[in-house]
Amino acid sequence: MTHATTGWHVPEDDLRAYARGDLEPPALWSADTHLTACAACRAVLAGAFDPVALDAGWERLDAELDAPRPGLLESLLVRIGFADHTARLLAATPALRRSWLGAVLAVLLLTAAVAADRGGAGSPTLFLALAPLLPLAGVALSYGPGPDPTYEMAVVAPLHGFRLLMIRTVAVLAAALGLNGLATLALPGYGLRALAWLLPALALTATALALTARLGPVLAPSLVGGGWVALLLVAHTARAEDADAPLAPFTAAGQGVSAAVAALAAGLLVLLRDRFDVDRSRDV
Amino acid sequence: MTPTVSASGLSLHFGRTRALDDVSLRLSPGVTGLLGPNGAGKTTLLRVLATAVPADRGAFTVLGHDPATSGGRQEVRRRLGYLPQTPGFHPDFSAFEFVDYVAILKELTDRTARHREVRRVLDEVGLGDVRGKRVKKLSGGMRQRVALAAALVGDPEFVVLDEPTVGLDPEQRMRFRELIARAGEGRTVLLSTHQTEDVAMLCHRVVVLADGAVRFDGTPAELTARAAGRVWSSAERDAGAKAGWRTGTGSFRNVGDPPAGADLLEPTLEDGYLLTLDGAGAEVTA
Repeated sequence: MTHATTGWHVPEDDLRAYARGDLEPPALWSADTHLTACAACRAVLAGAFDPVALDAGWERLDAELDAPRPGLLESLLVRIGFADHTARLLAATPALRRSWLGAVLAVLLLTAAVAADRGGAGSPTLFLALAPLLPLAGVALSYGPGPDPTYEMAVVAPLHGFRLLMIRTVAVLAAALGLNGLATLALPGYGLRALAWLLPALALTATALALTARLGPVLAPSLVGGGWVALLLVAHTARAEDADAPLAPFTAAGQGVSAAVAALAAGLLVLLRDRFDVDRSRDV
Repeated sequence: MTPTVSASGLSLHFGRTRALDDVSLRLSPGVTGLLGPNGAGKTTLLRVLATAVPADRGAFTVLGHDPATSGGRQEVRRRLGYLPQTPGFHPDFSAFEFVDYVAILKELTDRTARHREVRRVLDEVGLGDVRGKRVKKLSGGMRQRVALAAALVGDPEFVVLDEPTVGLDPEQRMRFRELIARAGEGRTVLLSTHQTEDVAMLCHRVVVLADGAVRFDGTPAELTARAAGRVWSSAERDAGAKAGWRTGTGSFRNVGDPPAGADLLEPTLEDGYLLTLDGAGAEVTA
């Protein structure tokens, strides 16, 4: 779409910033696109600004013209304030692909629907048991030689492996916890009880990452996920006769334990951060 | 001249398997070929020198920086370009986006300068016209050139290429060799290959690795000279030869210790390489 159809032109402040090289995406992309089609804006740019700065601006325009436009996720990340280079790193995160996020949402909605069917009676156990596993799986599928096709190039890059891991972990956690939160909204009858997945989710994810430093990116999340399922089965067996009582991990005491485990695992993870800077996948 | 890479006594075990055994070498600007049969330890040595995996024993420096320390490792990586044996690509990225992604991993965060650099390396490998095309839609040879562009982005001083010509057709291989030769101008390039033609055409120096140990380190001419007087032709395969294969003329080319009166032939790099391996896994009949 050009000015001919919209009547829009690049604002003068933006043109000034463009000529200085200070205009940031996404305004920069709009200006690039518009300037190629709008002689009037090009004339304003040429007439009003320092020719040296303008030459630099044209060079930038030249460089930007055939840089492909970023995809939906990347554009969205830039629009909400991420630096463009961070957005590109995040766009390469396997667990942020639409297919993965769609699958997670479908599973959550299904289990939430099952719980909602009970009308808020007892505890939404299936939902609470499953929800912490989804961010764990998302993080496990976002780093390491298996899921990341560029892992071998990334591990020898100067960007520290732990930093890349954290960038992706935060993004995946934000997406997965957001989806979990949306699914929780479908369970208004349970009140705060429906949020009891949050601390276990953080504990499982942090523990898996800390163990990844020692056990590798496949064994560690598998053990943690398996351990969680085993814990729930034990809690289910040990539960008192009241079938509607919450399982131990979803009681106040269980939540406290989850918070403590999450904090300890996060501390351990920081201590072991240098182990993410080389490829230890063949050690295990 | 101070070497770009100086390594001594590098050893690495995976469980009971000895992948590297007391490897010492020095690399200087130009293309050095790393020859060896499958399982010789070429990829392991490259991964150690590229700082992907630490060695169990031994030490090395790249441009004076010691990768055994965290700070030294970062400095080495800032000067390193690495093309792995099977480079992976994000399926949704175009050639430009992929190289841009690697440039970001290499800490090129200024968008304009980074995009200029990405365009430069894509032009350098001859992919300027298809930069917007998705990597998965490109041919195997083009994908390999995208990976080479990613290795060269940021103008690294030390470039590690792990069998980059494998799987390419002859025309693509020739083109790729030209690119590697150009990349070697003013840089130190370590090229792993099991094709002696790559070494003959590209390298000023060759290192032969077998069973994790260095068997030869010298010029291609010196490797060829190892076979002087030890290559001969015969109508049938000579049982005393360490290796022998039928040539296009129908006669056999043999390498080893020739019998008296043998019809000696001019040696090639391949003959020298086979003799250096001492026949282990080198017997070829065709």
